[in-house]
Amino acid sequence: MSSNKVNVPVLVVALAVIAAIAAGLLGWVYLVTEAPIAAAQQAKTTAALSEVLPVFDNQPGQETSTVNGVTFYIGRKGGKIIGVAGETITSKGYGGDVTVLAGLQPDGTLTTVLVTKQTETPGLGTRVCERKRQKTLSGLIRGVEETGLPPNEVLDQFGGMKTEPGAPEWKVKKDGGQLDAISGATITSRAVAGAVFTISETFAQNRALLFKETH
Amino acid sequence: MSLLKEFTKGIGKENPTFVLLLGMCPTLAVTNNAVNGCSMGLATLFVLLGSNMVISMIRHLVPKKVRIPCYIVVIASFVTIVDLLMQAYAPAAIYESLGIFIPLIVVNCIVLGRAEAFASKNGVVASIFDALGMGVGFTLSLMLLGGSREFLASGSLFQIKLIEGWSNDFMLMGQAPGAFILLGVFLGIINWVKLRKAKKEGRDWTPPGLDCHQCNLCDLGGK
Repeated sequence: MSSNKVNVPVLVVALAVIAAIAAGLLGWVYLVTEAPIAAAQQAKTTAALSEVLPVFDNQPGQETSTVNGVTFYIGRKGGKIIGVAGETITSKGYGGDVTVLAGLQPDGTLTTVLVTKQTETPGLGTRVCERKRQKTLSGLIRGVEETGLPPNEVLDQFGGMKTEPGAPEWKVKKDGGQLDAISGATITSRAVAGAVFTISETFAQNRALLFKETH
Repeated sequence: MSLLKEFTKGIGKENPTFVLLLGMCPTLAVTNNAVNGCSMGLATLFVLLGSNMVISMIRHLVPKKVRIPCYIVVIASFVTIVDLLMQAYAPAAIYESLGIFIPLIVVNCIVLGRAEAFASKNGVVASIFDALGMGVGFTLSLMLLGGSREFLASGSLFQIKLIEGWSNDFMLMGQAPGAFILLGVFLGIINWVKLRKAKKEGRDWTPPGLDCHQCNLCDLGGK
Protein backbone atom coordinates (compact mmCIF):
# COMPACT_ATOMS: atom_id res chain seq x y z
CA MET A 1 0.00 0.00 0.00
CA SER A 2 2.89 2.33 -0.66
CA SER A 3 1.37 4.37 -3.45
CA ASN A 4 -1.72 6.50 -3.14
CA LYS A 5 -3.11 5.27 -6.44
CA VAL A 6 -6.27 3.26 -5.96
CA ASN A 7 -5.96 -0.13 -7.50
CA VAL A 8 -9.62 -0.95 -7.88
CA PRO A 9 -9.31 -4.56 -9.09
CA VAL A 10 -7.13 -5.45 -6.08
CA LEU A 11 -9.70 -3.93 -3.69
CA VAL A 12 -12.56 -5.73 -5.39
CA VAL A 13 -10.75 -9.06 -5.39
CA ALA A 14 -9.73 -8.72 -1.74
CA LEU A 15 -13.26 -7.94 -0.60
CA ALA A 16 -14.77 -10.61 -2.84
CA VAL A 17 -12.41 -13.29 -1.55
CA ILE A 18 -13.19 -12.44 2.07
CA ALA A 19 -16.92 -12.35 1.37
CA ALA A 20 -16.74 -15.68 -0.46
CA ILE A 21 -14.86 -17.36 2.40
CA ALA A 22 -17.36 -15.92 4.88
CA ALA A 23 -20.29 -17.10 2.77
CA GLY A 24 -18.85 -20.60 2.54
CA LEU A 25 -18.28 -20.77 6.28
CA LEU A 26 -21.80 -19.53 7.01
CA GLY A 27 -23.27 -22.05 4.61
CA TRP A 28 -21.47 -24.82 6.46
CA VAL A 29 -22.62 -23.59 9.89
CA TYR A 30 -26.16 -23.30 8.56
CA LEU A 31 -26.10 -26.90 7.34
CA VAL A 32 -24.73 -28.12 10.65
CA THR A 33 -27.27 -26.25 12.78
CA GLU A 34 -30.30 -26.74 10.53
CA ALA A 35 -31.41 -30.00 12.11
CA PRO A 36 -30.82 -28.95 15.75
CA ILE A 37 -32.75 -25.68 15.17
CA ALA A 38 -35.70 -27.55 13.69
CA ALA A 39 -35.54 -30.03 16.56
CA ALA A 40 -35.42 -27.21 19.13
CA GLN A 41 -38.48 -25.57 17.58
CA GLN A 42 -40.32 -28.87 17.41
CA ALA A 43 -39.45 -29.53 21.06
CA LYS A 44 -40.81 -26.11 22.01
CA THR A 45 -44.14 -26.76 20.27
CA THR A 46 -44.42 -30.23 21.72
CA ALA A 47 -43.58 -28.96 25.21
CA ALA A 48 -46.29 -26.30 25.02
CA LEU A 49 -48.81 -28.77 23.60
CA SER A 50 -48.15 -31.34 26.29
CA GLU A 51 -48.95 -28.66 28.89
CA VAL A 52 -52.44 -28.06 27.50
CA LEU A 53 -53.38 -31.52 26.18
CA PRO A 54 -53.85 -34.80 28.04
CA VAL A 55 -51.13 -37.40 27.44
CA PHE A 56 -51.05 -38.02 23.69
CA ASP A 57 -49.16 -40.52 21.54
CA ASN A 58 -49.37 -38.90 18.11
CA GLN A 59 -47.60 -35.81 16.73
CA PRO A 60 -50.12 -32.97 17.23
CA GLY A 61 -47.55 -30.56 15.83
CA GLN A 62 -47.97 -32.25 12.46
CA GLU A 63 -51.73 -32.71 12.62
CA THR A 64 -52.95 -29.16 12.29
CA SER A 65 -55.65 -27.24 10.51
CA THR A 66 -56.26 -23.51 10.46
CA VAL A 67 -59.74 -21.99 10.55
CA ASN A 68 -60.40 -18.23 10.80
CA GLY A 69 -56.90 -17.53 12.06
CA VAL A 70 -57.00 -20.23 14.73
CA THR A 71 -54.60 -23.15 14.35
CA PHE A 72 -55.90 -26.38 15.84
CA TYR A 73 -53.65 -29.23 16.93
CA ILE A 74 -55.34 -32.57 17.34
CA GLY A 75 -54.11 -34.78 20.20
CA ARG A 76 -54.78 -38.51 19.98
CA LYS A 77 -54.17 -41.57 22.04
CA GLY A 78 -54.52 -44.91 20.31
CA GLY A 79 -56.04 -43.11 17.31
CA LYS A 80 -58.86 -41.62 19.38
CA ILE A 81 -59.11 -37.85 19.77
CA ILE A 82 -58.53 -36.99 23.41
CA GLY A 83 -58.12 -33.24 23.13
CA VAL A 84 -57.62 -30.30 20.82
CA ALA A 85 -55.31 -27.34 21.28
CA GLY A 86 -56.17 -24.06 19.59
CA GLU A 87 -53.63 -21.32 19.00
CA THR A 88 -54.34 -17.81 17.85
CA ILE A 89 -52.59 -14.45 17.72
CA THR A 90 -54.36 -11.32 18.90
CA SER A 91 -53.11 -7.85 18.06
CA LYS A 92 -55.01 -6.26 20.94
CA GLY A 93 -52.22 -6.62 23.49
CA TYR A 94 -50.68 -3.53 25.06
CA GLY A 95 -47.22 -4.11 23.59
CA GLY A 96 -48.05 -5.89 20.35
CA ASP A 97 -49.15 -9.37 19.40
CA VAL A 98 -50.08 -11.92 22.04
CA THR A 99 -50.12 -15.61 21.10
CA VAL A 100 -52.54 -17.72 23.13
CA LEU A 101 -52.62 -21.52 23.22
CA ALA A 102 -55.67 -23.16 24.77
CA GLY A 103 -56.44 -26.82 25.38
CA LEU A 104 -59.97 -28.07 24.81
CA GLN A 105 -61.65 -31.34 25.60
CA PRO A 106 -63.33 -33.01 22.58
CA ASP A 107 -66.69 -31.50 23.68
CA GLY A 108 -65.25 -27.97 23.67
CA THR A 109 -64.69 -27.43 27.40
CA LEU A 110 -61.52 -25.42 28.00
CA THR A 111 -58.83 -27.01 30.12
CA THR A 112 -55.55 -25.11 30.28
CA VAL A 113 -54.63 -21.76 28.76
CA LEU A 114 -51.07 -20.65 28.02
CA VAL A 115 -49.62 -17.48 26.55
CA THR A 116 -46.78 -18.68 24.34
CA LYS A 117 -45.50 -15.38 22.95
CA GLN A 118 -45.96 -11.82 24.19
CA THR A 119 -44.20 -8.48 24.47
CA GLU A 120 -46.29 -6.94 27.25
CA THR A 121 -45.00 -4.54 29.91
CA PRO A 122 -42.75 -6.44 32.34
CA GLY A 123 -44.32 -6.52 35.79
CA LEU A 124 -47.83 -5.58 34.60
CA GLY A 125 -49.01 -7.22 31.40
CA THR A 126 -46.64 -10.13 31.87
CA ARG A 127 -48.44 -11.04 35.10
CA VAL A 128 -51.45 -11.95 32.97
CA CYS A 129 -49.33 -14.03 30.62
CA GLU A 130 -46.68 -15.81 32.63
CA ARG A 131 -46.87 -19.10 34.38
CA LYS A 132 -43.62 -18.89 36.19
CA ARG A 133 -42.53 -20.70 39.27
CA GLN A 134 -40.65 -18.23 41.43
CA LYS A 135 -37.61 -19.91 42.90
CA THR A 136 -36.84 -18.60 46.34
CA LEU A 137 -33.63 -18.71 48.31
CA SER A 138 -35.20 -20.47 51.31
CA GLY A 139 -36.88 -22.94 48.95
CA LEU A 140 -33.52 -23.76 47.37
CA ILE A 141 -31.87 -24.20 50.76
CA ARG A 142 -34.65 -26.49 52.01
CA GLY A 143 -34.57 -28.34 48.69
CA VAL A 144 -38.27 -27.89 47.93
CA GLU A 145 -39.05 -29.37 44.54
CA GLU A 146 -42.36 -28.26 43.05
CA THR A 147 -43.71 -29.80 39.89
CA GLY A 148 -46.69 -29.25 37.62
CA LEU A 149 -47.85 -26.18 35.78
CA PRO A 150 -47.48 -23.03 37.87
CA PRO A 151 -50.81 -21.27 38.51
CA ASN A 152 -51.88 -17.98 36.98
CA GLU A 153 -55.01 -16.36 38.39
CA VAL A 154 -56.15 -14.84 35.10
CA LEU A 155 -55.43 -17.79 32.81
CA ASP A 156 -56.79 -20.36 35.25
CA GLN A 157 -60.31 -18.92 35.29
CA PHE A 158 -60.93 -20.16 31.75
CA GLY A 159 -60.68 -23.82 32.85
CA GLY A 160 -64.09 -25.45 32.58
CA MET A 161 -65.59 -22.67 30.45
CA LYS A 162 -67.34 -23.49 27.21
CA THR A 163 -69.20 -21.58 24.55
CA GLU A 164 -71.83 -22.28 21.90
CA PRO A 165 -71.93 -20.68 18.46
CA GLY A 166 -73.51 -17.24 18.70
CA ALA A 167 -73.05 -16.90 22.45
CA PRO A 168 -72.04 -13.45 23.78
CA GLU A 169 -68.34 -12.72 24.07
CA TRP A 170 -66.58 -13.15 27.41
CA LYS A 171 -65.69 -9.91 29.07
CA VAL A 172 -63.58 -8.75 31.96
CA LYS A 173 -65.39 -7.25 34.95
CA LYS A 174 -64.46 -3.72 33.94
CA ASP A 175 -66.43 -4.18 30.70
CA GLY A 176 -69.44 -5.67 32.50
CA GLY A 177 -68.33 -9.30 32.24
CA GLN A 178 -67.46 -11.85 34.88
CA LEU A 179 -63.73 -12.42 34.31
CA ASP A 180 -61.17 -11.10 36.76
CA ALA A 181 -58.40 -8.95 35.34
CA ILE A 182 -55.14 -7.84 36.91
CA SER A 183 -55.38 -4.19 37.88
CA GLY A 184 -53.07 -2.11 35.73
CA ALA A 185 -53.18 -4.74 32.99
CA THR A 186 -56.78 -4.51 31.80
CA ILE A 187 -55.79 -4.25 28.15
CA THR A 188 -53.71 -7.43 28.29
CA SER A 189 -56.40 -9.27 30.27
CA ARG A 190 -58.99 -8.15 27.71
CA ALA A 191 -56.80 -9.29 24.81
CA VAL A 192 -56.22 -12.72 26.34
CA ALA A 193 -59.94 -13.14 27.16
CA GLY A 194 -60.81 -12.19 23.58
CA ALA A 195 -58.29 -14.64 22.14
CA VAL A 196 -59.49 -17.52 24.33
CA PHE A 197 -63.08 -16.74 23.34
CA THR A 198 -62.10 -16.73 19.66
CA ILE A 199 -60.48 -20.16 20.03
CA SER A 200 -63.46 -21.54 21.93
CA GLU A 201 -66.04 -20.11 19.52
CA THR A 202 -64.14 -21.15 16.39
CA PHE A 203 -63.88 -24.65 17.79
CA ALA A 204 -67.61 -24.76 18.58
CA GLN A 205 -68.45 -23.59 15.07
CA ASN A 206 -66.11 -25.94 13.26
CA ARG A 207 -66.10 -28.95 15.57
CA ALA A 208 -67.69 -31.34 13.07
CA LEU A 209 -65.42 -30.16 10.27
CA LEU A 210 -62.25 -30.48 12.36
CA PHE A 211 -63.02 -33.98 13.55
CA LYS A 212 -64.11 -35.22 10.13
CA GLU A 213 -61.19 -33.75 8.27
CA THR A 214 -58.60 -35.42 10.43
CA HIS A 215 -60.09 -38.90 10.45
CA MET B 1 3.77 -5.46 26.57
CA SER B 2 2.66 -8.34 28.71
CA LEU B 3 -0.34 -10.43 27.70
CA LEU B 4 -1.79 -10.27 31.18
CA LYS B 5 -1.96 -6.50 30.86
CA GLU B 6 -3.85 -6.83 27.56
CA PHE B 7 -6.32 -9.01 29.37
CA THR B 8 -6.84 -6.97 32.52
CA LYS B 9 -7.14 -3.58 30.81
CA GLY B 10 -10.54 -4.60 29.40
CA ILE B 11 -11.85 -5.39 32.86
CA GLY B 12 -10.54 -2.33 34.64
CA LYS B 13 -8.71 0.58 33.06
CA GLU B 14 -10.38 0.39 29.64
CA ASN B 15 -13.64 -1.27 30.63
CA PRO B 16 -15.86 -1.01 27.53
CA THR B 17 -19.05 -0.17 29.43
CA PHE B 18 -17.97 1.99 32.33
CA VAL B 19 -14.86 3.70 30.92
CA LEU B 20 -15.05 3.67 27.10
CA LEU B 21 -18.87 3.89 27.15
CA LEU B 22 -19.13 1.66 24.09
CA GLY B 23 -21.92 -0.76 23.27
CA MET B 24 -24.60 1.22 25.04
CA CYS B 25 -27.45 -0.37 23.08
CA PRO B 26 -27.28 -3.85 24.65
CA THR B 27 -26.12 -2.30 27.93
CA LEU B 28 -29.37 -0.40 28.30
CA ALA B 29 -31.71 -2.80 26.52
CA VAL B 30 -31.06 -6.29 27.80
CA THR B 31 -29.79 -5.75 31.33
CA ASN B 32 -33.19 -6.18 32.95
CA ASN B 33 -31.89 -9.21 34.81
CA ALA B 34 -28.59 -10.87 35.56
CA VAL B 35 -29.13 -13.88 33.30
CA ASN B 36 -29.87 -11.74 30.23
CA GLY B 37 -26.89 -9.49 30.94
CA CYS B 38 -24.60 -12.47 31.34
CA SER B 39 -25.72 -14.26 28.17
CA MET B 40 -25.53 -11.07 26.10
CA GLY B 41 -22.02 -10.51 27.43
CA LEU B 42 -20.96 -14.04 26.56
CA ALA B 43 -22.40 -13.80 23.03
CA THR B 44 -20.46 -10.57 22.50
CA LEU B 45 -17.34 -12.18 23.98
CA PHE B 46 -17.52 -14.97 21.41
CA VAL B 47 -17.97 -12.55 18.50
CA LEU B 48 -15.11 -10.36 19.75
CA LEU B 49 -12.82 -13.33 20.14
CA GLY B 50 -13.54 -14.61 16.64
CA SER B 51 -13.37 -11.26 14.89
CA ASN B 52 -10.23 -10.09 16.71
CA MET B 53 -8.49 -13.35 15.92
CA VAL B 54 -9.38 -13.42 12.22
CA ILE B 55 -8.79 -9.71 11.68
CA SER B 56 -5.33 -9.82 13.22
CA MET B 57 -4.56 -12.80 10.97
CA ILE B 58 -5.64 -11.03 7.79
CA ARG B 59 -4.40 -7.56 8.75
CA HIS B 60 -1.53 -7.61 6.26
CA LEU B 61 -3.60 -9.06 3.41
CA VAL B 62 -6.45 -6.56 3.49
CA PRO B 63 -5.92 -3.36 1.46
CA LYS B 64 -6.27 -0.34 3.75
CA LYS B 65 -8.99 1.28 1.65
CA VAL B 66 -11.45 -1.60 2.03
CA ARG B 67 -10.51 -2.66 5.55
CA ILE B 68 -13.74 -1.49 7.20
CA PRO B 69 -16.03 -3.45 4.80
CA CYS B 70 -13.78 -6.47 5.26
CA TYR B 71 -13.96 -6.20 9.05
CA ILE B 72 -17.73 -5.84 8.89
CA VAL B 73 -18.00 -9.00 6.78
CA VAL B 74 -15.89 -10.91 9.33
CA ILE B 75 -17.87 -9.55 12.27
CA ALA B 76 -21.25 -10.17 10.63
CA SER B 77 -20.22 -13.76 9.88
CA PHE B 78 -19.39 -14.42 13.51
CA VAL B 79 -22.63 -12.79 14.67
CA THR B 80 -24.62 -15.00 12.31
CA ILE B 81 -22.78 -18.05 13.62
CA VAL B 82 -23.60 -17.07 17.22
CA ASP B 83 -27.21 -16.46 16.24
CA LEU B 84 -27.55 -19.88 14.60
CA LEU B 85 -25.76 -21.68 17.43
CA MET B 86 -27.94 -19.99 20.05
CA GLN B 87 -31.10 -20.89 18.15
CA ALA B 88 -29.96 -24.48 18.05
CA TYR B 89 -28.47 -25.02 21.49
CA ALA B 90 -29.29 -22.18 23.92
CA PRO B 91 -32.40 -22.44 26.13
CA ALA B 92 -35.35 -21.06 24.16
CA ALA B 93 -36.24 -18.58 26.90
CA ILE B 94 -32.82 -16.91 26.76
CA TYR B 95 -32.78 -16.70 22.95
CA GLU B 96 -36.27 -15.20 22.99
CA SER B 97 -35.56 -12.57 25.62
CA LEU B 98 -32.39 -11.40 23.83
CA GLY B 99 -34.27 -11.38 20.53
CA ILE B 100 -33.14 -8.79 18.04
CA PHE B 101 -30.14 -7.78 20.18
CA ILE B 102 -28.15 -10.83 19.08
CA PRO B 103 -28.12 -9.81 15.36
CA LEU B 104 -27.44 -6.25 16.55
CA ILE B 105 -24.03 -7.27 17.94
CA VAL B 106 -22.86 -6.52 14.37
CA VAL B 107 -23.17 -2.82 15.06
CA ASN B 108 -21.78 -2.99 18.57
CA CYS B 109 -19.01 -0.40 18.70
CA ILE B 110 -16.86 -2.55 20.96
CA VAL B 111 -16.40 -5.17 18.25
CA LEU B 112 -15.52 -2.86 15.36
CA GLY B 113 -13.65 -0.61 17.78
CA ARG B 114 -11.35 -3.39 18.95
CA ALA B 115 -10.86 -4.56 15.36
CA GLU B 116 -9.79 -1.12 14.20
CA ALA B 117 -7.92 0.03 17.31
CA PHE B 118 -6.23 -3.19 18.31
CA ALA B 119 -6.51 -6.27 16.11
CA SER B 120 -5.51 -4.43 12.93
CA LYS B 121 -2.25 -3.34 14.58
CA ASN B 122 -1.29 -6.30 16.78
CA GLY B 123 -0.46 -9.98 16.53
CA VAL B 124 -2.88 -12.85 16.87
CA VAL B 125 -2.04 -13.83 20.45
CA ALA B 126 -2.18 -10.26 21.75
CA SER B 127 -5.50 -9.75 19.92
CA ILE B 128 -6.96 -12.87 21.50
CA PHE B 129 -6.05 -11.63 24.97
CA ASP B 130 -7.41 -8.18 24.15
CA ALA B 131 -10.70 -9.74 23.01
CA LEU B 132 -10.91 -11.94 26.08
CA GLY B 133 -10.28 -8.98 28.37
CA MET B 134 -12.78 -6.72 26.62
CA GLY B 135 -15.37 -9.51 26.44
CA VAL B 136 -15.00 -10.46 30.09
CA GLY B 137 -15.10 -6.78 31.08
CA PHE B 138 -18.28 -6.30 29.06
CA THR B 139 -19.86 -9.46 30.48
CA LEU B 140 -19.04 -8.48 34.06
CA SER B 141 -20.38 -4.95 33.53
CA LEU B 142 -23.64 -6.22 32.03
CA MET B 143 -23.99 -8.73 34.85
CA LEU B 144 -23.39 -6.03 37.45
CA LEU B 145 -25.94 -3.74 35.83
CA GLY B 146 -28.43 -6.54 35.18
CA GLY B 147 -28.06 -7.97 38.66
CA SER B 148 -28.52 -4.57 40.33
CA ARG B 149 -31.58 -3.82 38.22
CA GLU B 150 -33.10 -7.23 38.89
CA PHE B 151 -32.49 -6.89 42.62
CA LEU B 152 -33.86 -3.36 42.83
CA ALA B 153 -36.89 -4.27 40.71
CA SER B 154 -38.01 -7.47 42.35
CA GLY B 155 -35.61 -8.48 45.11
CA SER B 156 -34.24 -11.42 43.17
CA LEU B 157 -30.94 -12.39 41.57
CA PHE B 158 -30.48 -14.87 38.71
CA GLN B 159 -34.28 -15.45 38.85
CA ILE B 160 -34.06 -16.58 42.47
CA LYS B 161 -36.09 -14.51 44.91
CA LEU B 162 -33.86 -13.41 47.76
CA ILE B 163 -36.43 -11.31 49.61
CA GLU B 164 -39.57 -13.40 49.70
CA GLY B 165 -42.08 -10.79 50.87
CA TRP B 166 -41.31 -8.62 47.82
CA SER B 167 -44.46 -9.16 45.78
CA ASN B 168 -44.86 -5.97 43.76
CA ASP B 169 -42.15 -5.11 41.25
CA PHE B 170 -40.43 -1.73 41.32
CA MET B 171 -41.07 -1.28 37.64
CA LEU B 172 -38.86 1.74 36.96
CA MET B 173 -35.74 -0.37 37.42
CA GLY B 174 -37.01 -3.11 35.13
CA GLN B 175 -37.54 -0.65 32.28
CA ALA B 176 -35.13 1.29 30.08
CA PRO B 177 -35.21 4.50 32.19
CA GLY B 178 -34.00 2.47 35.17
CA ALA B 179 -31.04 1.32 33.09
CA PHE B 180 -30.13 4.93 32.25
CA ILE B 181 -30.43 6.02 35.88
CA LEU B 182 -28.42 3.13 37.25
CA LEU B 183 -25.71 3.46 34.59
CA GLY B 184 -25.43 7.15 35.52
CA VAL B 185 -25.14 6.28 39.20
CA PHE B 186 -22.39 3.74 38.49
CA LEU B 187 -20.46 6.18 36.28
CA GLY B 188 -20.78 8.83 38.98
CA ILE B 189 -19.40 6.49 41.62
CA ILE B 190 -16.50 5.44 39.38
CA ASN B 191 -15.58 9.06 38.61
CA TRP B 192 -15.86 10.01 42.27
CA VAL B 193 -13.50 7.21 43.30
CA LYS B 194 -11.00 8.17 40.59
CA LEU B 195 -11.15 11.83 41.56
CA ARG B 196 -10.53 11.02 45.22
CA LYS B 197 -7.61 8.79 44.37
CA ALA B 198 -6.09 11.46 42.12
CA LYS B 199 -6.46 14.10 44.84
CA LYS B 200 -4.71 11.90 47.39
CA GLU B 201 -1.80 11.46 45.01
CA GLY B 202 -1.80 15.17 44.25
CA ARG B 203 -2.65 14.69 40.57
CA ASP B 204 -5.05 16.63 38.42
CA TRP B 205 -7.90 14.54 37.07
CA THR B 206 -10.96 15.42 35.05
CA PRO B 207 -13.61 12.92 34.07
CA PRO B 208 -13.15 11.72 30.50
CA GLY B 209 -15.00 13.92 28.02
CA LEU B 210 -16.27 13.00 24.62
CA ASP B 211 -13.51 14.73 22.65
CA CYS B 212 -11.19 12.90 20.31
CA HIS B 213 -8.25 12.83 22.72
CA GLN B 214 -10.03 10.39 25.01
CA CYS B 215 -10.50 7.82 22.32
CA ASN B 216 -8.00 5.66 20.49
CA LEU B 217 -10.23 4.28 17.76
CA CYS B 218 -8.72 6.32 14.95
CA ASP B 219 -5.83 8.71 14.38
CA LEU B 220 -7.86 11.94 14.56
CA GLY B 221 -6.96 12.36 18.22
CA GLY B 222 -3.41 12.99 17.14
CA LYS B 223 -1.42 10.93 19.62
